[in-house]
Amino acid sequence: MNPLTSLIAGIFSIIVLLIIFLPEVGIITRWKRMRKDRSRERIEDALKHLYDCEYKSVDCSLNSISGSLSLSGEKTAQVISSLEAMNLITSHENKISLTPEGRSYALRIIRIHRLWERHLADNTSIQETDWHSVAEQKEHETSREEADRLAASLGNPLIDPHGDPIPSITGEIPEREGITLNNLENGIFAAIIHIEDEPREVYAQLSAMGLYPGMQIYLLENSKDKIRFEADGEECLLAPILASNITVVPISEKEQVKEKFQLLSSLKMNQAAMIVGISKAMRGQQRRRLLDFGVVPGTIVRTQLESLSGDPTGYEIRGATIALRRNQSDLIYIKQVD
Amino acid sequence: MNKTEEILSTANKLRWKIGENFHDSILESIYKDASEISGKVVTKISEKPKFDLDRFIDRIVTGRWTGFPIMFLLLALVFWLTIIGANIPSAWISFILVDTLHPLLKNFMNSIQIPWWITGLLIDGAYLAAAWVISVMLPPMAIFFPMFTLLEDFGYLPRVAFNMDNLYRRVGAHGKQALTMSMGFGCNAAGVIATRIIDSPRERIIAIITNNFSLCNGRWPTQILIATIFIGGTVPAYLAGIASAGAVVAIAILGVVFSLIVSWGLSKSVLKGEASAFSLELPPYRPPRLLQTLYTSLIDRTIFVLWRAVVFAVPAGLVIWLVANVDISGISIAEYFIRGVDPFAFFIGLNGVIIFAYVIAIPANEIVIPTVLMLTVLTTKMTLGAGAGVMFELDSTAATANILHAGGWTVLTGINLMLFSLLHNPCSTTIYTIYKETKSLKWTMISTFLPIAMGLIICFFFTQIWRLIAG
Repeated sequence: MNPLTSLIAGIFSIIVLLIIFLPEVGIITRWKRMRKDRSRERIEDALKHLYDCEYKSVDCSLNSISGSLSLSGEKTAQVISSLEAMNLITSHENKISLTPEGRSYALRIIRIHRLWERHLADNTSIQETDWHSVAEQKEHETSREEADRLAASLGNPLIDPHGDPIPSITGEIPEREGITLNNLENGIFAAIIHIEDEPREVYAQLSAMGLYPGMQIYLLENSKDKIRFEADGEECLLAPILASNITVVPISEKEQVKEKFQLLSSLKMNQAAMIVGISKAMRGQQRRRLLDFGVVPGTIVRTQLESLSGDPTGYEIRGATIALRRNQSDLIYIKQVD
Repeated sequence: MNKTEEILSTANKLRWKIGENFHDSILESIYKDASEISGKVVTKISEKPKFDLDRFIDRIVTGRWTGFPIMFLLLALVFWLTIIGANIPSAWISFILVDTLHPLLKNFMNSIQIPWWITGLLIDGAYLAAAWVISVMLPPMAIFFPMFTLLEDFGYLPRVAFNMDNLYRRVGAHGKQALTMSMGFGCNAAGVIATRIIDSPRERIIAIITNNFSLCNGRWPTQILIATIFIGGTVPAYLAGIASAGAVVAIAILGVVFSLIVSWGLSKSVLKGEASAFSLELPPYRPPRLLQTLYTSLIDRTIFVLWRAVVFAVPAGLVIWLVANVDISGISIAEYFIRGVDPFAFFIGLNGVIIFAYVIAIPANEIVIPTVLMLTVLTTKMTLGAGAGVMFELDSTAATANILHAGGWTVLTGINLMLFSLLHNPCSTTIYTIYKETKSLKWTMISTFLPIAMGLIICFFFTQIWRLIAG
């Protein structure tokens, strides 16, 4: 055969193979997704949405369900009627509410979702912005027993990486607390307790700013068009609409941390400092590894060695030399010592 | 019962109040207590020595101008000593096991009236394959591993990982992969075992899968032989040495490049779901313990890997002898297969003999060239070598070149063989080791079939483009 012909045939067959087998966008994945029975997913997603409304004490309507599930009004009506037939919801006039059975079903799905998010955050290297969508898939495929095993392997965690409480096996969940950031007054110290993970674009923006549950902030200015605050010593600026996705609780006087923390990465060669904390953004195995090395508040670190390209850096920690990458030392807070 | 439930529910409620930080707090207080106790009971000599040898060495080996040259010189020295140093004992073992003992055993079997096919199967097949693997594999490993272990024991290797980490971080891997990759230049199976030093699950699997891209000991002789015949043959005689050496080094570097590209691809695709946690401790330098190092590297690495290789080589020897000697209506099984594969092999610029040799010589890359020579002689009906199913090698490169040219090999075949020798499935010893280390069929399959798919695709496109340009 002519080499040019085989060359073209070769390129063509590689493209065809890619179109068929490529994950996420390939024909096989699309075909599987299309064939899948989505009715159960829709029912579960609708229940979750209803529960969410209840938790936030806002009214829930057919419109809001169809918006949240991105379904047509007609299809949503079908989902609602099958939910009613299963005795999971009741509707009075235009207001839809959960029955006790519906609530416990919803809590079970929420539990599985948040357990998955915890697992993805702690035990995998999946990107932060993908946690929610992966968990959204997994929650419909995980049985109750599998969920309990997952919870046990995670040490029965209490909150998911976004700061939401994880319902217990019996479906218990603590009262909602805190206020959204746009309602916080000037000059108040607060801790972020929750960052809403939907819509994805907003969450990506917030997580790119380095905001995470557990972070301490100090509100500098709250006006109609902007909210200015200090987070871990850095000044941040948010539009009120974005700030409404962040829930905070004011913290008491004695917990307040007034001084600005420095980052370990900013420590110069041959200088020593005391560790004051590890960011909550350092999770799972990585966090445990650091704690094992003795990276705990009170430990003295000294910058000892720089690698050829400047990253990683070798630190003297409790008598040993430990190399840390910059993305790690960026998450460790220090205080200068004499 | 009621009481228990009450306690449990109170405990659950309290957990919400304590929050998530208590693990950290517990560890913090343990460290605080421990350092308080040690502060009381341990007497420290407070004055630091003026000259800290460790820091001095560190400054040199991680220095901007000295770090890389030292690293390259040391690694080059290790490889050079291995290649040069292994030749003599290799020839020596080969003389005993292949040239002396093999005819002796064969004569003995003939003298006690053993049927010819039993002799062929056991002596020409099983024994010869095992002897070949030992003579090619043992000396380089017995030289390379102790030297490598000495560098490790001294404390230098963690500094290499430290220096290389920036590059490996960018492709989603761990700096220690530079070490397991270097180990892979000695033997991929040993390289795979060496990935135990990487304690982050994702980075470890990346290092295991990509280890095969390090040109191992068993493949260096193939590369050198083929480069000498086909690359060295295309340039004027005074450039032949440089050109062929350059080609081999280029293939080895290509392997390193592939290992980085594949690491990146894996960390972005199939390995997204695995946990990743970087940690690297830089231990203090210490004088290497010579005897202990020699002992452990010989027992743990050399003998261990060699034994696995021999176990796999023996059945391969049987198969090689059988396919060349079992006839169906006068044509051996090997010839049937080779003719069947030839049209396909043409597309990727190889030939049926090479493909078939790579299939039956999966247990060890060392026996690929002897098998290729035996099969070429078999299919071209030459009267060379020691008979059907008996692997052989020739002392002179020119004589080997004659056989290969008679088998229809061109420069394109040579280059493609070099590419395919780099990019094909790991040997069965390595595959087995990967399974033992990962305990996962999935990663074993990916490690096996990913390189071979890459090899086929790259040989195919290289061939078409070559033919297009060469006309």
